[in-house]
Amino acid sequence: MAYSEKVVEHYENPRNVGSFDKGDESVGTGMVGAPACGDVMKLQIKVNPVTGIIEDARFKTYGCGSAIASSSLVTEWVKGKTLDEAAALKNSQIAEELALPPVKIHCSILAEDAIKAAVDDYKKKHTH
Amino acid sequence: MRELERQGFEVTYLDVQEDGLLDFDVLTAAIRPDTILISVMFVNNEIGVIQDIAGIGAMCREKGIFFHVDAAQATGKVEIDLKTLPVDLMSLASHKTYGPKGIGALYVRRKPRVRLEAQMHGGGHERGMRSGTLPTHQCVGMGEAFRLARLEMSQDNAKARALHDRLINGLKDVEQVFLNGHATQRVAQNLNMSFNFVEGESLIMGIKGLAVSSGSACTSASLEPSYVLRALGRSDELAHSSLRMTIGRWTTEEEIDYAIATIRQNVAKLRDLSPLWEMFQDGVDIASIQWTAH
Repeated sequence: MAYSEKVVEHYENPRNVGSFDKGDESVGTGMVGAPACGDVMKLQIKVNPVTGIIEDARFKTYGCGSAIASSSLVTEWVKGKTLDEAAALKNSQIAEELALPPVKIHCSILAEDAIKAAVDDYKKKHTH
Repeated sequence: MRELERQGFEVTYLDVQEDGLLDFDVLTAAIRPDTILISVMFVNNEIGVIQDIAGIGAMCREKGIFFHVDAAQATGKVEIDLKTLPVDLMSLASHKTYGPKGIGALYVRRKPRVRLEAQMHGGGHERGMRSGTLPTHQCVGMGEAFRLARLEMSQDNAKARALHDRLINGLKDVEQVFLNGHATQRVAQNLNMSFNFVEGESLIMGIKGLAVSSGSACTSASLEPSYVLRALGRSDELAHSSLRMTIGRWTTEEEIDYAIATIRQNVAKLRDLSPLWEMFQDGVDIASIQWTAH
């Protein structure tokens, strides 16, 4: 498997690795994928309750280099975005930025799902 | 086998035990009055376990069933004496024993005689079994490679065993590491381990100086976990987390030490990245979670 330079760069120096406290009111958590498929992504966002802007993000990913790179990239992209802007990120943008081959497109889909799940989780926490 | 099925034969595929070895009783129970052939791999290509060919062969003789053995991974690693081994047909490959690629051989016993149907038709060379001009240079290369393998086998094996033990000792105290396949009934040249909660492809990407594989070369592009490890009853995570390491004739102690260091370092790095490892550390049972398959 030949990886693009950008995938290798994210794999070697993953951004924003780690975890926030799931129970924190300002944190939204998305966990997608399944061990059986060889990919699990956990993506967390920290939202400013006043402005509704994502101020910070963390990820942990079990999966191939492209899955790690996709989630690492997404944590960079969502920072400074509103929840709706973050949820509007498309997997095709991720795949394009990382030059993912067709067989790895599912990694970018998973990263899109992860950010959507994190946004949903945050919104659920604040609807009641 | 699939081709025989296409022609209308019925084939029974047997699972192996957790250690990768064939259960003799399961094999015996699967034999039918109309069974004509049993085919077994001498040494498994992914996990290196050695099947009891002499035992299975003796049983086949007793029942009058032809016995085919795929010995591609066995030559130069285990003793094969076809004068005493009750095997009727044996497949051999040159390139697995340091010979040239592109040639192999099929041993066919004369007594009891096995009647075969040719796969290649034409001029009727090789008693009609393989039409076409033989590639002399490849035949000679394979013969010479096998001659050397026979001469050097005991020395090769002793050296590989020492390196195998060195590698296993250097890795076995890593937390949540599992040896795939029987611990002793295996060739020394293969070591297959699962590093739980680390995905195999990402590990291979990290250990750049090492030429290893996750699963077999035949399927590593398919994103499917190794079917061999699934057959051992390994969980999906463990099957996705496997590394097949092989030791060759020219592998050195320094290379083994380098492998140990780089694997340990990358497993630790990837576990820091792994949500499954985090859950394991927090005492969460991963099997209890409802995952959304994709």
